[in-house]
Amino acid sequence: MATNRKTSDVVALALEKVGFAYRTGARPVVRDITLRVNAGEMVGLLGPNGAGKSTVLKLAAGALRPATGRVLLQGSDVAKLGPGETARRVAMAPQDFSVRFAYTVRQIVELGRTPHTGIWGSIGRADQNAVQTALEETATIGLADFVFNELSGGERQRVLLALTLAQEAGIVLLDEPTAHLDIRHQIEVLRLLRRLNRERGLTVIAAMHDLNLAARFFPRLVLFTGEIVADGAPGEVLNSNLLANVYETPVRVGILRGETHLSVLPPGHVDSDGRCDGDEKRRCAEAKVHVIAGCGSGELLMRSLADSGIRFSVGPLNIGDSDYILAEQLATLCLTEPPYAGVSETGLDAVRDCMRRAKLIVVCPVPLGPGNIALLEAAFEGQQSGREVVLLEPQSGEGAEGDREARLIESVSRRDYSGRGAEVYRALLAAGARILGGAMEVVEVVAGKA
Amino acid sequence: MDKMVERVEGIDSPLAQPQVGAAPRPDGSAIGRQRGLLIRNWRVGILPLMCVGLFVAIVLAAAVGAVPISPLHTAAILLNQLPIFHFARHWPESEETILLVLRLPRVMGAALVGAALGVAGALFQGLLRNPLADPFLLGTSSGAALGASIAFAAPALYTAAWLGFGMVAVLAFVGALLAVALVYRFAMRGGQAPVVTLLLAGVAVSAILTAFQTLIISLNDRLGLHVVGLYLWLSGGITVENWTQVGVVLVIVVVGLVVALMLAPALDVFALGEDMAGYLGLRVERVKLLIVACAALLVAAAVAISGLVGFVGLVAPHLCRILLGPRHRLLIPATALAGAIFVVVADLFARTLAAPTELPLGVLTALVGGPFFLGLLRYAGQRYRW
Repeated sequence: MATNRKTSDVVALALEKVGFAYRTGARPVVRDITLRVNAGEMVGLLGPNGAGKSTVLKLAAGALRPATGRVLLQGSDVAKLGPGETARRVAMAPQDFSVRFAYTVRQIVELGRTPHTGIWGSIGRADQNAVQTALEETATIGLADFVFNELSGGERQRVLLALTLAQEAGIVLLDEPTAHLDIRHQIEVLRLLRRLNRERGLTVIAAMHDLNLAARFFPRLVLFTGEIVADGAPGEVLNSNLLANVYETPVRVGILRGETHLSVLPPGHVDSDGRCDGDEKRRCAEAKVHVIAGCGSGELLMRSLADSGIRFSVGPLNIGDSDYILAEQLATLCLTEPPYAGVSETGLDAVRDCMRRAKLIVVCPVPLGPGNIALLEAAFEGQQSGREVVLLEPQSGEGAEGDREARLIESVSRRDYSGRGAEVYRALLAAGARILGGAMEVVEVVAGKA
Repeated sequence: MDKMVERVEGIDSPLAQPQVGAAPRPDGSAIGRQRGLLIRNWRVGILPLMCVGLFVAIVLAAAVGAVPISPLHTAAILLNQLPIFHFARHWPESEETILLVLRLPRVMGAALVGAALGVAGALFQGLLRNPLADPFLLGTSSGAALGASIAFAAPALYTAAWLGFGMVAVLAFVGALLAVALVYRFAMRGGQAPVVTLLLAGVAVSAILTAFQTLIISLNDRLGLHVVGLYLWLSGGITVENWTQVGVVLVIVVVGLVVALMLAPALDVFALGEDMAGYLGLRVERVKLLIVACAALLVAAAVAISGLVGFVGLVAPHLCRILLGPRHRLLIPATALAGAIFVVVADLFARTLAAPTELPLGVLTALVGGPFFLGLLRYAGQRYRW
């Protein structure tokens, strides 16, 4: 992704050792921060509530004067620029933007020309063009004659963007541009910002609360609580330890399957202490279900179980298996083997232990090979000692019982590389194993047993 | 979760289809929302129309009185005062004297009071972003009333005159300005006067000044207070006796109107809030002080020759906003004209309804303006956003 295509070496905004307190003598909200943003950069400002994100933006917009240090806009000290000149260099989209009286969208966007026309001035041709362009780029041209106060939240946010664009400042500051928007409009607004950043070379600095959206749309993130904690690419800034410290709550950071960007998630609903103290026996005892999975065959089931709050153990899985990351996050216990290794003797012992404690053993439609066929045999042993075994086979939906078994065996032989798969499955079926077609059915069975 | 994100990313964003906003809403509200467009076509012509309306109102108001004069004569006499008209005189000279010396000063005074109060109302509503704001909000009325009470209580002052004005008018004028200055001073904190603080300081200062005024009234027998005079002054009434007074007030009101017109674009920016006005390069505190000073001057000038005439400053801006939209470049001149017409007509009724007894003007503005405004709200209520 050519995210930094338009970034130049020209410094658009520089904060130099800036400190600020709202009252003299009070604890400073901003402490000695130094930040440089080049022209054409797109920067997300992260930090908990009360960290001073809005204050930094107001300092950069010249609305507040730093107590110490200085703010440079395109090389000039804001304190020495007049308010008009400041507004021609930097535009601000505040979070609490409201309009009194029934102004139309076009009238509102025209007010963005104020720094160019002066307060006595009227709208000229150049101003009309800037307004028209701003309306077109934000797709608010169709709303131009609507009354602003009758628009939806997403539309209002686009109009506010149009207003700041009409200002034709090189730098746009946004205070939580996605606040109060639904997910679709959040993405829409951020995409618009990214396009303007790339196509127009607009320097964008936005305070963001949503870490996931920030990770996806901002090539550079600045983590901030009074002072700068981290400044860099999402990969450097979105570190679970850093975030946990700054936001004072445990979080998990990882890449979801099928994604390219980092995601930040709250800790799972399985107690984190239950998974962290390394007491395998105890955690094993908590699991009601043991899942045999691998190669992505267990994903849906694990999600369904976790969503329903059912504790389960998984494994063993090879480290790096496509089910492995999810199992680490969702399962009470995830037994593991080294990559590409078959199940070891100690692994088998651990599995037997888990199966002894579980009420239900679920076998997912995992490809079978010499490395894992032993797991099915262990499941058979478990079945002999009274555990119920469920064979998950999404393709065998309806039909007579005999049909179903035949189809299951057929599907097993398709994914069997050990030569013994069909044989073991037949033994399990003969001993009373049930065939279930979907993850939700498994959840129902477990719920029925509880 | 990954699947979910994928799905959302796949939504066709309206940004890809710039016309999406133009499509009619399923609830059919597009028509209502496009009100601004519909009005734009005819609202250009409304100012000349209102000027004609004001002229007609002035002619009617001047024609009616103890000695009725034909409206046609009145119109001709009025127009003859302008250098461009020369109608042949076919009316008795006494009519001309009655009109020009006795009636017209008062009618012009009424027009000036209406214009001043209307514009002051528009300025305060725009600055404070508050549809309830009226010209008497920031202590003007109580300051003027206290000034007038002092004048009514002191016989020496009561008979004195300055620039052709009685001391009641002078002290009311000074009282109104001082009260606003006091409010502004108290609302200042670190070089800023936040709007909410201004409002609260206004309420507090008003309460204090009103208390003093009540004190004066309750001590009336010891002070020799002119109670009836004060009562009539408080209920409002045009007290213009000669052209000098009209001239002085005219100068103040014209200056105020010109400044208000120059402030019109800034008032539009204030509709986005003070913070946003600052981000758009406005020197917020300077402009705010200018707006308050301008409005206070207009109110003080009006109060000096009319006492407390309520309702004009509240209704006229709303009426014009319903008709013409919120932009102040059009709103301010329109409010001046609407206020002028309203007070000229109300004063006409005040003089004639129970002649020869004169009714208080404030009673008329409330009795005529109130029901009219309620009807307007009912008619335009769904479309009119404050």
